[in-house]
Amino acid sequence: MGCSSSLPDRASGRLGGLNSENGAVNDAKNLRVKLVLLGDSGVGKSCIVLRFVRGQFDPTSKVTIGASFLSQTIALQDSTTVKFEIWDTAGQERYAALAPLYYRGAAVAVVVYDITSPESFQKAQYWVKELQKHGSPDMVMALVGNKADLQENREVTVQDGIDYAEKNGMFFIETSAKTADNINQLFEEIAKRLPRPTPS
Amino acid sequence: MDTTPPSPSPSSSPSLASPTSMEFYDFLDRMRNPASLDLVRSIKSFIVSFSFYPPNPENDGKKVQDFFMTMEGALRDHPLWAGASDNEIDCAMEGLEKYVMTKLFSRTFACSPEDTKVDREIAEKISLLQTFLRPEHLDIPAVLRNEASWLLAEKELQKMNSFKAPREKLLCIMNCCRVINNLLLNASMSENHVLAGADDFLPVLIYVTIKANPPELHSNLKFIQLYRRQAKLVSEAAYYLTNLISAKSFIADLNARSLSINEIEFEENMQAARGANKLAHNEPDPAVEEMAARRRQGNPGPSFTMNDKERIMKGRSTYPFMEAKAGELTVGDVERLLSIYKDVVDKFTHLSEAFRQLTLSKPEFHHLEGTGGSFAQPPQPSLRKDKESIDGRGE
Repeated sequence: MGCSSSLPDRASGRLGGLNSENGAVNDAKNLRVKLVLLGDSGVGKSCIVLRFVRGQFDPTSKVTIGASFLSQTIALQDSTTVKFEIWDTAGQERYAALAPLYYRGAAVAVVVYDITSPESFQKAQYWVKELQKHGSPDMVMALVGNKADLQENREVTVQDGIDYAEKNGMFFIETSAKTADNINQLFEEIAKRLPRPTPS
Repeated sequence: MDTTPPSPSPSSSPSLASPTSMEFYDFLDRMRNPASLDLVRSIKSFIVSFSFYPPNPENDGKKVQDFFMTMEGALRDHPLWAGASDNEIDCAMEGLEKYVMTKLFSRTFACSPEDTKVDREIAEKISLLQTFLRPEHLDIPAVLRNEASWLLAEKELQKMNSFKAPREKLLCIMNCCRVINNLLLNASMSENHVLAGADDFLPVLIYVTIKANPPELHSNLKFIQLYRRQAKLVSEAAYYLTNLISAKSFIADLNARSLSINEIEFEENMQAARGANKLAHNEPDPAVEEMAARRRQGNPGPSFTMNDKERIMKGRSTYPFMEAKAGELTVGDVERLLSIYKDVVDKFTHLSEAFRQLTLSKPEFHHLEGTGGSFAQPPQPSLRKDKESIDGRGE
């Protein structure tokens, strides 16, 4: 399991002060992290997040489930908690120019494509370049091939995803929001890669 | 310290979260305590210091934010707040923000000519778009076309301009976005519409923003960004604020390629709206003069077929003061004044229209009959004759 949810004490999160540079609020044990989702419309960005947020069955967990903003806290083995604040972005082409407003100050960017759609893979690569040019340099980036359950329609090979991610220093994973495959792993891996604040 | 509340909230105060006025009055109460004299002095001298310099938004924003930080430290160390919880400090800070920003409102809100210009440009563009934009132009799925929800969301946005405190303005945005949010969640549950997150959310927000044409949109957004306590501009609030900023930016840059619409159709619609707007905006005289000039050249001019209702709506959207500055009045006044004001505007619009019709249907204009719906009526009695009959003289 390893990802039961708990709510970090809100007030203590505040005291740590806001580090708007990387979108993470820290005391050493409770991280608050801004995560932005990018990808073509229809690749299932929001389904991944809903799976993640609804999949946590701890009744004491305080989650925010909106249609496009969600937050969820996971506890890691070293007893730190990470509260993900997930910012969804509109994937349609006509809104592409607005993306910088959303990824500014994000600590994590998750770029999603659909393994059955080469166009969406192209679009993902566009976002990666965009983030490299304009995003904060210490941003953790993940490349996600979604709809992994649709093997028979696959048009983007696993290797293509791995290669591209490796070349760009990203973490890569294929997920299925439908079967929940690798959904928790995605967020746990991201949590592990977050830069930790040095305890003062 | 002047401890009367500087800005009475409109009766429909933001409903979310903690009771705003409670914490505000609590803040004022504590400030009346002689023990807080030092705090009161700091606050007063900060407010006074603002009058020494001309407004400079970026700089002023930083000054205010620094002051909030300093004051938060001062509160924590203050005997009056000894042992206070973080929550209590937070409430006091909310009170402080509201107090300071209400006092500084006229110096900090829409205080540069550029901001006023942007406000005007956006309001004008929206008023043009309003005449023809439909949900399908933004590919909004049919299940999300819910007039009742949209109207609620629009109302929230329109309320924003009547508050002075950054927090209350921000709450209006939050309320608007939550209405849309619920609409999307409901559609996903009852209509089996796959939840598409921001892919659905942003287009609806843009459409609602266009329908609402919130007064001084740009200035309100800028004000919140600069003067809402930075520690509060995070998480969900920051996300929704960013979305409205996005919507504004999308509308400002909007052209035919931003929409699912034929380019020629778009330009024609914009052109027609501009023409109609010009007529509706101008004092009656220039419009009549223009008509007269055309007549002399033997050119009947374009035919305008807008119906009364559209014309009235247009009239409304062009008076930004309809919603503005109400905060300076008492709660009772605001409602009454607004309704009277709106009434006056409606009447003026009707009058302009009637006057235009009268001018157009003078005998010289008979050759125009049949060129447009509103011209096809029999000539009406001239103004002079009407007047005579009112005087009781008959014909």
